[in-house]
Amino acid sequence: MLSQKIPILRDRAEMFSQARQFFKERHVCEVDCPILSAAASIDSNIELIPAQPHSGTRYMHSSPEYSMKRLLAAGMGNIFQLSHVFRNGEQGQRHNPEFTMAEWYRLGFSFLQMVEETVQFIQLFLGNLPTQSLSYRELFQHYMSFDYLTISLEDLLKLLDIWKIERYPAIETEGKDALLNLILGTVIEPQLGTEGLFVLTHYPASQAALSKTCLRGEESVGERFEIYYKGIELANGYHELTDAAEQRTRLMQANADRLKNDKPALPIDENFLHALGQGMPDCAGVAVGFDRLMMLRHHQKQISAVIPFAWEEA
Amino acid sequence: MAQISTNEFKAGIRVIVEGQPYTIVSNEFVKPGKGQSFNRVRIKHLLTGRTIEKTFKSGDKLELAEVVDTKMRLLYKDQNGIVFMDDVTFEQHIVPLEVVKDVDQWLMDDLVYEVIFYNGEPVVIEPPTFMEMIVVETDPGDRGNTASGRVLKPAVTNSGAKIQIPIFVEQGEKIKVDTRTGEYVSRIQ
Repeated sequence: MLSQKIPILRDRAEMFSQARQFFKERHVCEVDCPILSAAASIDSNIELIPAQPHSGTRYMHSSPEYSMKRLLAAGMGNIFQLSHVFRNGEQGQRHNPEFTMAEWYRLGFSFLQMVEETVQFIQLFLGNLPTQSLSYRELFQHYMSFDYLTISLEDLLKLLDIWKIERYPAIETEGKDALLNLILGTVIEPQLGTEGLFVLTHYPASQAALSKTCLRGEESVGERFEIYYKGIELANGYHELTDAAEQRTRLMQANADRLKNDKPALPIDENFLHALGQGMPDCAGVAVGFDRLMMLRHHQKQISAVIPFAWEEA
Repeated sequence: MAQISTNEFKAGIRVIVEGQPYTIVSNEFVKPGKGQSFNRVRIKHLLTGRTIEKTFKSGDKLELAEVVDTKMRLLYKDQNGIVFMDDVTFEQHIVPLEVVKDVDQWLMDDLVYEVIFYNGEPVVIEPPTFMEMIVVETDPGDRGNTASGRVLKPAVTNSGAKIQIPIFVEQGEKIKVDTRTGEYVSRIQ
């Protein structure tokens, strides 16, 4: 079994090398920020794996984002990191709790330039593919025929019943975003990117994560995008939030959401916020799942087929 | 009661959902973007065999069903039910007829079956996937019929199963049958 994987693992090495070449050609400098840090990335729905060194608790990074942004604020310019990241409990056909991510930041890039460069990076692995794009609002209008912005929670629940979409217990207490997330995951995502790459843009501001927000008519949106191919999410990018005060508010909101869902609050990375306060240049950034690109490149259904040892074998 | 979290869900594990015992068939972890992750789980009802799909928030827990699978030898059938014996402990159990249902056609004396106990009661009998049996009743093969494309004919086996067999198989011959589909597999020389 393992010996059959060797050709894929050799190609994996080749793609690491091509990815580095991709960045070198674009004058994006490689960095290797630490995996373990005292403060953590705070996200309502990402669980970290803590480590127990000689003193205190450290966290395995779920993304090198905060450290990389400290380098950006210090004036390092365009940077990328190719590293293993860790997310507790994320395990399935397309998920391994330890996985490889390519993350990079581009100074002065607009949202659309970042989308374009991410598409180029993906095409390095998958060849030229046509690209289609819809905003989050257009997506729900197109696939589900409702306007997420104006629909009430009650009407949304009724639609779920009509479409016979199974909900997990007490989801209605989590609000509209949770229901939209369920519809996206169960009904829409499997249909995205069947013809080529699918770019989903302009998320509701409530799902902006670490992106800048703006108004599109009456709709407040995050300048955030994701790219899908064959129903698989490959990339998540932002026009990056640079406002330290707004960033602090969002971290505190994420911690409040965590507490509400019986998850522990996490320490706030003051070094990161301090760096933002010093002034982070206007930039765009993206994180791409390297293992999933390898899965698609090799027509594999399981992430375990493209990494040396999956979670249960490691 | 022992509980199990969605990250430990695996095919074959028995759980209680809405008070009913189910076997997990498959478990898919779904996490759209930065949203809450959930698991789409296919489960099969232990007693009715009906498969349904349920959604659970990742990390949620279910109660494990108290289910024990035991290999038992069929001793004999009587009016009260089917009497099975555990070859190791020699313990005997009577499986009531209402549990037997359509498995009855695969029951033969002195063969080992899987008897599934739920809360201490026998609730399901699972025959071996492939069974050898003898054709006890069938019409002689009429080779003239092959031209019309009809190559199967009805037959009854010594277990009482009514199945379709190829026309060249004669009464008294030993055959192999797939009990999942009730289909003829091959002739045994």
